[in-house]
Amino acid sequence: MLACALALALQAAEPVVLRVMTHERWFAGYETLEEVARDFEAAHPGVRVEILSSAGGAGSRDKLKFTLAGNVPLDVAWLDVTEFSTFLADGALIDLQPYFDADAAWRPEDYFSEVLEGMRGPDGHLYGLPSTFNPLVMYVNRSLLDSEGIALPPDDWTWQDFERIARAVTRDEDHDGRPERYGASITQWLQALAPWIWQNGGRFLNERGEVALDEPEAVEAIAFLQRLLHEDRIASDDATFANQMSVGLFQSGRVAFHGPAGYWETYRFREIADFAWDYLPLPRGQAGAATVVAMRFYCVPRTSRHPELAYAFVRALAGPKMQTALAGVGNGVPGLISAARSDVFLQPGNGRREEVFFDVLPHARYLPTTVDWSEIQAQVGAVYDEALLMNRVSAAEASTRATRLANETLARRSDAAQRPRLPPALLGGAFLAAPIALLLAWILTLRRRRARGLDREERAAWAFLAPWAIGGALLLAGPILLLALLAFAEWSPVQLLSDARWMGAEQFARLARDATFHDSLRVTFWYAALAVPLQVIVALGLALLVAKPGRGTGTARTLLYLPTILSPVVLGAVWRWILDDGPWLRDPHWIVPSFVLMSLWTAGSQMLVFVAGLQFVDPALHEAARLDGAGRWRRFLHVTLPALTPVLLFNLVVGLIGAFQVFAQPFVMTQGGPGNESRFLVLYLYDQAFRYLRMGYASTLAWVLFVIVFLLTCLLLRSSRRWVHYAGAGR
Amino acid sequence: MKAAPLLQRLLLIALAAAFTLPLLWMLAVSLQGEGAGLTGGLTSFPRGLHPENYAEAVRQMDGFGRMLVNTVLITAACIAGQLLCCSLAGYAFACLRFRGRDGLFLVVLATMMLPPQVLAIPQFILWRQLGLVDTWAPLILPSVLGGAPFFIFLFRQSFLAIGPEVREAARLDGCGPWRTYFHVMLPLVKPVLGTVAVFTFLATWNDFWTPLIYVTSPDQQTLTLGLAAFNQAYRVAVELLMAGSSLVLAPCLLAYFLFQRFFLREMRTRGAKG
Repeated sequence: MLACALALALQAAEPVVLRVMTHERWFAGYETLEEVARDFEAAHPGVRVEILSSAGGAGSRDKLKFTLAGNVPLDVAWLDVTEFSTFLADGALIDLQPYFDADAAWRPEDYFSEVLEGMRGPDGHLYGLPSTFNPLVMYVNRSLLDSEGIALPPDDWTWQDFERIARAVTRDEDHDGRPERYGASITQWLQALAPWIWQNGGRFLNERGEVALDEPEAVEAIAFLQRLLHEDRIASDDATFANQMSVGLFQSGRVAFHGPAGYWETYRFREIADFAWDYLPLPRGQAGAATVVAMRFYCVPRTSRHPELAYAFVRALAGPKMQTALAGVGNGVPGLISAARSDVFLQPGNGRREEVFFDVLPHARYLPTTVDWSEIQAQVGAVYDEALLMNRVSAAEASTRATRLANETLARRSDAAQRPRLPPALLGGAFLAAPIALLLAWILTLRRRRARGLDREERAAWAFLAPWAIGGALLLAGPILLLALLAFAEWSPVQLLSDARWMGAEQFARLARDATFHDSLRVTFWYAALAVPLQVIVALGLALLVAKPGRGTGTARTLLYLPTILSPVVLGAVWRWILDDGPWLRDPHWIVPSFVLMSLWTAGSQMLVFVAGLQFVDPALHEAARLDGAGRWRRFLHVTLPALTPVLLFNLVVGLIGAFQVFAQPFVMTQGGPGNESRFLVLYLYDQAFRYLRMGYASTLAWVLFVIVFLLTCLLLRSSRRWVHYAGAGR
Repeated sequence: MKAAPLLQRLLLIALAAAFTLPLLWMLAVSLQGEGAGLTGGLTSFPRGLHPENYAEAVRQMDGFGRMLVNTVLITAACIAGQLLCCSLAGYAFACLRFRGRDGLFLVVLATMMLPPQVLAIPQFILWRQLGLVDTWAPLILPSVLGGAPFFIFLFRQSFLAIGPEVREAARLDGCGPWRTYFHVMLPLVKPVLGTVAVFTFLATWNDFWTPLIYVTSPDQQTLTLGLAAFNQAYRVAVELLMAGSSLVLAPCLLAYFLFQRFFLREMRTRGAKG
């Protein structure tokens, strides 16, 4: 009621706009979202709800971070529970507990209490309400079990049952070590590995708050999975890219169990017509049952201008109308009990037991919520990959190393809060100072120069350069200066810029100890060494083939350029198909060469530059050489190639810079894995900035990358004086 | 000697096939039924064609027409900006003498070397302070003021490749720097103008990240943002995504095809003169 009164008072002064960014704009539930907004406006006169566009997938996460970094007003946002701890630690969310306490209509028992637990801070305060949640369960192919004469296991089944059935179902008729039918496809991301560790009595943190994955119970769980995957070969791993994009083993009926996985698979699996399938709780280990909950929830970011109204809208979003609409989508379980228990969700008569998702909730747990947990999770996941995906190290070895790395990261965080803040004037001033300094420098040089007489050509040169110089000074110099400051600081993009802490040269000292950074350097250099020369050679070859006028070369030029404009997702899918799903995604020796080969597909832009360059070859020279009796090869070597050297230099420099910045392809295909075998430098600094929210260290990495590329480019330019021939130029 | 053109032709056909595969794949996926996934691809034809995916994609993109207009406007502005700004700067670096030229050119190259992924955050803060977030200014202005270092470099190399004799002749004819640039030199680098136009067209048309970050209002959306409708949490509507992507891609292909014909004619006339 207070909220309404306040809203009315505000309305008198100015119309209130509530800005809402939720992913459900793109859901099948979009119409309902609009309806909820209109209902809310009717109940709160003078308030307008603006549903902003974000974008699907990773896009919406990035956009939220930019919105907070720029301190752009936003009243309601949508957050993944894995990001909750980092956002909370960085002060990016508004504590909603006071609003819940003041709300007479709030009844926590309307929601699953285990689900609300995931949105509580360390003080027990509630920071949001659920959209949908996903306790991880096991999907089971019932027809397959029936045909083998195996009974559906009971809900309290064990690891032993799981292993026994998986072994009985596995078929390798041609004995090539790659079964045609597996017992299980096991999902591999860390959140999905956690239940196995808990079921066996392992834990992530010990009483002292240190990572304890090297305790025997946790090691045994990883060893169990490693044995099923690589020794007994009765389980297959389920790589992320394949899982997202492909039919997969489960849908094609080639596996009995699939999991641990959330309700989100149901959307795809609903289309299965060939066999009957169902849900089972995860099998129990020696320490009993356990599962983990994945979840997205509505929250109020710190940039909200109307927290009370925002709270009211969060309540409306998590209310019956929206929750019932989401219940039918098949992407997650509604957090509102009445919607989850409704027929829209349970779909009685479909032959499956949706109730399993409620039954497992008492055993549900969450991953730790300490600061820097997302980075720890990535580090641990990468090391586990070496055991589970690549089978390169033993479970014990991986666990020991993962624990050591994680504890180093934990130890680092403690002192960041005690660092001095960066003066806000310094940060804000960067944008003003940089252009002003550049302008002053320019005026001074010109005045000094004018005293000595500025000739017409030099004046013209400055006029020619003006658009570039003005743009650079206004739009680029400030951000670059800020990036330079941040390299010596630590700042989370979801904080206010004034919360940045001064770290000094420590960030650079950290580089020496950062094992992931070393891996990414190795991978990036190896990629560049292969890709830069190969791309130029292939592009030159293609250009020579299509540069001559003739029938069909125009079409050929178009076709050869095609892959350049296609999405990396398409290229990745075709690439997998060509390699027949072989071991390349897992074999550390083949990952970087694979990305190099794929990059040759997109040599089209370099080809186009060569084609343009070929027009500058003087036909008269060719004719003269021909009359002198020079053959094709000699004419290419002595006439064409020298004339092409200016664009060759261009392609080399641009190729070099591009190779060190490779990002899109590994981002959609491997996310840096397995292990760190495709953790290219830019991928790593993206992770630091956007996943671990460590913009300071990301800037440090960016400057390291800059120095490397700058030095290599300078070397290339210096050497070019010897091999690049500019027409008619003396040098 | 006779075998060479035939061999060359066969090689070209084989290469073109290898490079066309991803596009065919994409078209195949765009026509398949729901739930077949990306690996369905070329093997899913027996299960029936679904051309209605295209209509459904347009429907779900919610405002396809407006997105198309927005994208065309933004792209046209960027092409004009890049051509002007970069050819001017490239010409200055290649053909005009001034103190500090080489050092300044190194600065141009250096601005390419910072990874855009992290530079984007300070840039966003700057646009926010200028009050221009959720307008098209951050999408267009950097092309008009500043330009891409990539293209400045390309223009510089191309002007250098022409050689100083032409400029010398123009100077003797009494042309100043501006007339030399506009009437003499610019026509000579038409193929490069075309290349830069194509590159800018494709880069702007297909850009996802910049509009994602800066554009928020539903009526300012671009086509690539519309495509995000098919990329939902935990799930990708692959067949609709590919149908939508094919629609978005079609103008690119057309533009590219038309432009490369223009290069071809250009080359023929040059060849005839030679």
